[in-house]
Amino acid sequence: MIRAWNNENRFHRRRFRLGVFFMLPAVLILLVVLAYPILASLILSLQDIFIASDGIHGRFLGFDNYTRLLGNELFQQALLRSMYFTLVEVVCVVSLGLLVALLLNTPSGRHAFYRVVLLVPWALAPVANAVLWKWIYNANYGVLNMIVVGLGLSEENVVWLGRPWLALNMILVADIWKAVPFIALLLLAGLQNIPTYLYRAARLDGANTWQTFVHVTLPGLKTPLVISSVLQSIWALKVFDLIYVLTKGSPADSTVLLNYLAWRETFSNLNIGYGAAIADVLFLLMFLLALAYIRALRPRRALLNGNNP
Amino acid sequence: MRNNIPSNLTRRDFLKLGAVGAGAALLARCAPQVASGPATLNVLVPAAPDPAPPGVAVFSEEAFAKWQADNNAKVVYEAPPWPQLHDKMATNFASGQYVHDVIYMSGWVPEFASNLIPFVDDLPKELVDDLPASSFSTVTWDGKRLGVIFTLSLLTLFYNKAHLEEAGISAPPKTWDELIGVAKEMTKDGRYGWVLNYGAPEGIGGVASYWMCFLQQAGGKLYGADGQPSFNNEVGVSSLQAMIDLMPYTDPGAISYVGINDATNVFTAGNATMMMNWPFMWKPANDPASSKIVGQVATDILPAGPAGSASIDGTDAYTITKLSPNPDLATKLVEFYMDKEVQKRQVLDTGWLPIRLSVLGDPEVQAAAPNAASVLEQANFPYDSFVTPDYNAVTTAIGVEIQKALQGQKTAAEALQDANDQVTEIVKQRG
Repeated sequence: MIRAWNNENRFHRRRFRLGVFFMLPAVLILLVVLAYPILASLILSLQDIFIASDGIHGRFLGFDNYTRLLGNELFQQALLRSMYFTLVEVVCVVSLGLLVALLLNTPSGRHAFYRVVLLVPWALAPVANAVLWKWIYNANYGVLNMIVVGLGLSEENVVWLGRPWLALNMILVADIWKAVPFIALLLLAGLQNIPTYLYRAARLDGANTWQTFVHVTLPGLKTPLVISSVLQSIWALKVFDLIYVLTKGSPADSTVLLNYLAWRETFSNLNIGYGAAIADVLFLLMFLLALAYIRALRPRRALLNGNNP
Repeated sequence: MRNNIPSNLTRRDFLKLGAVGAGAALLARCAPQVASGPATLNVLVPAAPDPAPPGVAVFSEEAFAKWQADNNAKVVYEAPPWPQLHDKMATNFASGQYVHDVIYMSGWVPEFASNLIPFVDDLPKELVDDLPASSFSTVTWDGKRLGVIFTLSLLTLFYNKAHLEEAGISAPPKTWDELIGVAKEMTKDGRYGWVLNYGAPEGIGGVASYWMCFLQQAGGKLYGADGQPSFNNEVGVSSLQAMIDLMPYTDPGAISYVGINDATNVFTAGNATMMMNWPFMWKPANDPASSKIVGQVATDILPAGPAGSASIDGTDAYTITKLSPNPDLATKLVEFYMDKEVQKRQVLDTGWLPIRLSVLGDPEVQAAAPNAASVLEQANFPYDSFVTPDYNAVTTAIGVEIQKALQGQKTAAEALQDANDQVTEIVKQRG
């Protein structure tokens, strides 16, 4: 009995050691590409960094960079704008994505052609997407102005990227256009996982289309909706390329969001420590969202393990 | 379900293959390096149509190939779009590793002075004497000449003479009042009197740098003799007020144009009558493939403020990095870029003016680039770009405030007061 127990124990130890051995490359890679940059960024953010002939040198400042940025009006504005941008983008992208997914899930929408077309915006390179919108929004010869003036909605060309509030929202539109396809496909996969017998049961119970949507479709999409919202929040917080190409933060810093501000301080103004502090605040926000993402997945895992009542 | 991939390859086989590959790579690294090939020079420059050397822009290609053969050298270019240059050199220098031998700079010499070598004294005297002495002002830091300007790139006035003739105006504006008056008269029928890119605040070619032209035309300077900001006064306010007064006759899109090409496109489409621009524009504005105003373009010096005309310098320069393993060969390459014939082809084939006085005086050059005369005349007036190690931070702070003033969010006085406070803080940090 004891011998059998020892053998089993040895087997588990060997199996565990082998498991660790095979995991080591992945762990090492994660340490190099994830843990090291995060740690390096944190260390940079605690210093005043300057570039010398042999690379960067730093002077330890403690939390001065963080104190400075918390009292900085531009940082506060960028934080608020980032939160607004993220909130509006998530609401719009998830709503539109759900609408598109529902359309694609109908018998007439199931043709592969629609899915291929849908993927085009998502497949575009970010900078190509930004350049495309730059042409669309051009105040002098942009397509959008041709449409707006042609339809008589405005007598003269609108400077879409020239007014603070308007410019931020036009960037939002461009980002939403690019983000909808992926979320739509994600939700479509969720829709196709809802058992059809639930719809049949709802029909037998006399539920109309709206009631079926509210009581069958939405509850069935709970997990994909939460995942979509969390992922889209992370992506919206990171927006950079559209701002870099379309406005460079203009007019008058009205389109400066956190990621762009981190870039500007780090690479343009060479305030590397201060820029790292901004990037770390952004990282913290995304980390919290990532935790929410993991939590969103948890009930499903419990269900799979049979722990759900 | 299993797929149909042959299953005779085991995990052990993969491990063996990996070990063999790693061993081969290690042996290759240990093998003696044969140093017989040409020496490689890595060069960071902007992509055309920004000012680029032979091999990136299309000119002097045969001469360039011959230079490489004669010097047993191979020049490897990295030529990103101009806006990416600063980021690239910042990250390269921050790494502390050798990446490039020769680097194009535009106003960033003071910022990266510790990464560059003073090589101008190693150039032939005849070459250095052929360059305007003033061209070294923006590439000199702590008394060391760290670069060579290779194109005479001052902002001048470009105007559509056909538009002026239509309105019975025979000469371009010479003063601020005339500029605003002409711009007002030209603004009609969907056309604007003035266009420029006010969208990006920072750097050479950002809105702050354009204001520096007006500031100097008003007789002001960005910094006083003590190194402190000296623009928050009547002179500074009048210079910004001139830009504000021009706004009703400026293409409204100007505030959203982030690059000079955005504004140039409006001008060459015939939708604006006047703009200030770099000399390169002469060629595309007269190219039927890219312009609707061929033969209508003329240039002059910038209209004068109370103190006269003034401009800023594009400060397009070649520099050599401190970590270059081949500084002598790099110096020779810069010497080649500055060769008289190369300088001549530079203007004839790309439109970027030469900097060598003898080439500027060449009748063939003057015939091909009639705007050279305006640029040379402009050089008789101040054209300080006020570059410092924190130029981007300074111009961002000023540029954002100028944008607020141009949009009516602040008065000129309020904007300059706020800009002054921010620049004072930056100067204090500069130490």
